[in-house]
Amino acid sequence: MAGNNDGLLGALGDLIGAVVPLSVRELESEISDRMHKIPTALNEFGFDRFGLSPEEARRSLLPSALLYRHYFRVSTEGIERVPGGRVLLISNHAGQLPFDAAMLSTAMLLEAEPPRIARGMGEYWIPQLPFVSTSAHRMGSMVGTPENCTALLEDGECVVVFPEGVRGMNKTFDQRYQLQRFGTGFVRLALATKTPIVPVGIVGSEEQQPGIANLASLGRLLGMPALPITLGFPWLGPLGLLPMPVKYWIGFGEPITLEGSGDEEDAEVGRFVDLVRAGIETQLEHGRSQREGIFSG
Amino acid sequence: MEKVLIAGISGGIGRLLARRLLADVEVCGVDSLPWESGPAEIPRYQVDLRKREFEDVFRKERPTAVVHLGSRRDFRGDAGRRHDLNVRGTQKLLEHCARYEVRKVVVISSGTVYGAQPENPFFMDEDHPLSGSRDYPEIRDLVEVDTLASGFLWKAPQVHTAVLRPVHVLGRFARSMMGDYLRLDRQPTLMGFDPVMQFIHEEDLVEAIVRSLELGLSGVYNVTGPGEVPLHTAIRETGGEAFALPEQLMRPAMRRLFGWKVVPWPAGALDYIKYPVTLSGRRFVEASGFRPLFGLEECFRGIRG
Repeated sequence: MAGNNDGLLGALGDLIGAVVPLSVRELESEISDRMHKIPTALNEFGFDRFGLSPEEARRSLLPSALLYRHYFRVSTEGIERVPGGRVLLISNHAGQLPFDAAMLSTAMLLEAEPPRIARGMGEYWIPQLPFVSTSAHRMGSMVGTPENCTALLEDGECVVVFPEGVRGMNKTFDQRYQLQRFGTGFVRLALATKTPIVPVGIVGSEEQQPGIANLASLGRLLGMPALPITLGFPWLGPLGLLPMPVKYWIGFGEPITLEGSGDEEDAEVGRFVDLVRAGIETQLEHGRSQREGIFSG
Repeated sequence: MEKVLIAGISGGIGRLLARRLLADVEVCGVDSLPWESGPAEIPRYQVDLRKREFEDVFRKERPTAVVHLGSRRDFRGDAGRRHDLNVRGTQKLLEHCARYEVRKVVVISSGTVYGAQPENPFFMDEDHPLSGSRDYPEIRDLVEVDTLASGFLWKAPQVHTAVLRPVHVLGRFARSMMGDYLRLDRQPTLMGFDPVMQFIHEEDLVEAIVRSLELGLSGVYNVTGPGEVPLHTAIRETGGEAFALPEQLMRPAMRRLFGWKVVPWPAGALDYIKYPVTLSGRRFVEASGFRPLFGLEECFRGIRG
């Protein structure tokens, strides 16, 4: 394959694969097996039409799968509720860095039947970042435009949307488990494409990296959508970006099927948004009530 | 009987199209360059599209259909002259078509007019803004040619005008920016970028033009080929060898080297190997039933002839 452009994650995956014990090899072959079962159509060169490559994604997923099994020790509930074909997973978003997105997509690959590639809808600045841009495309993610989301849903894909966006991801610790304002675009897309919505609650990410402040305006000067100040960052440098080994739990609610055209007034769309939001809150309450502590459960 | 005038008949696509059409219709052609070995039954005129002699070809040949392949796309030479040649040449061509009662016009634009930008969605449709010249001022004339041709749709509603915007054209005879790049022995790429690209075989583009003529299509259409692959796969499959350089190095170097006329592409061309520029060909497929005959492997295999 085009070895010089697989991205840092792929290289990291190779490195880990080369020096580590049998359990990791097993995880690697598990990822590989699951990757073969995804329902996505590939061309003769092994890519889907958006540049997803299971072959390259497989290598990039190993670090993520290791975090999933051994660091965040993720458990899931209700993943069988995710219907086949086109579906929108709508989730809370927190934790300064998008480990929640990585864990949700790893869950869809390792636990869902059949395994699915959870397509991420990224910020506009991601395509401008070398390596990150390539890795994102190989793993099936892309810029979060309505056109892209519609095209994926029409292909019968599973798309993840975090309607809080950076408002959620870079909020401070005192706001944990308080859902921030939701964007409404996902509801219009679901209505227009008749796509079922599965509300997803992720417990753990909200505590992985307690934010003290968000210097958003300074961040914008540096070309980033946010500049979080946390217990570890920027004081410890890049090391300070490491999340704490919190216990993750991901809950999937009953699919919500909305009736409409997508051209409804904002107020009506807002009611649908609240419905989904309530679904996520139900999952979050359920997940938090049954865990023993932040680091165990 | 239909008589098709091909502007730009001496180029690769022009020649292929002329031979393809010859079986069914009368063909004539103009170009600024000669086609020395061309078939004797095709009258050819070596003229400048902006000059009076070009209009005289319309009087003499009385074409019923015109295919415009006559835009210059290479960047060597004077930029102002190229702009004038392309924009004023197209304007004259369309004026003559209206005056001499041509019934069908097909103008070949390009998918590059949409521009390579980070916020591009995948599979842009024909209504997507033409932002190509935002970061790539050198192709402003090509965007303008496209706009002139699209404007002709409502200016001359009695003429069936089809504006085709094909993805990267590959083949033995066709010249295109991406084809020339892939024919290099080694391809410079931007480190960490590997955008998905679309290609179409030159024979399939010819087929798409023929369909547009036969059906008398009116409208603006993206023309897409057999599929999508990342840049590095295309480089490997066409027998090239990629060497990646950091963008911070490549961009200033390209600017310098283009200025010295060492490389044939301005620095703005780099965005086309950085961001995906992919088109939706759905509208053309629905209007014409077009399906590409040549697969990606055949597109790649053919280019080094």
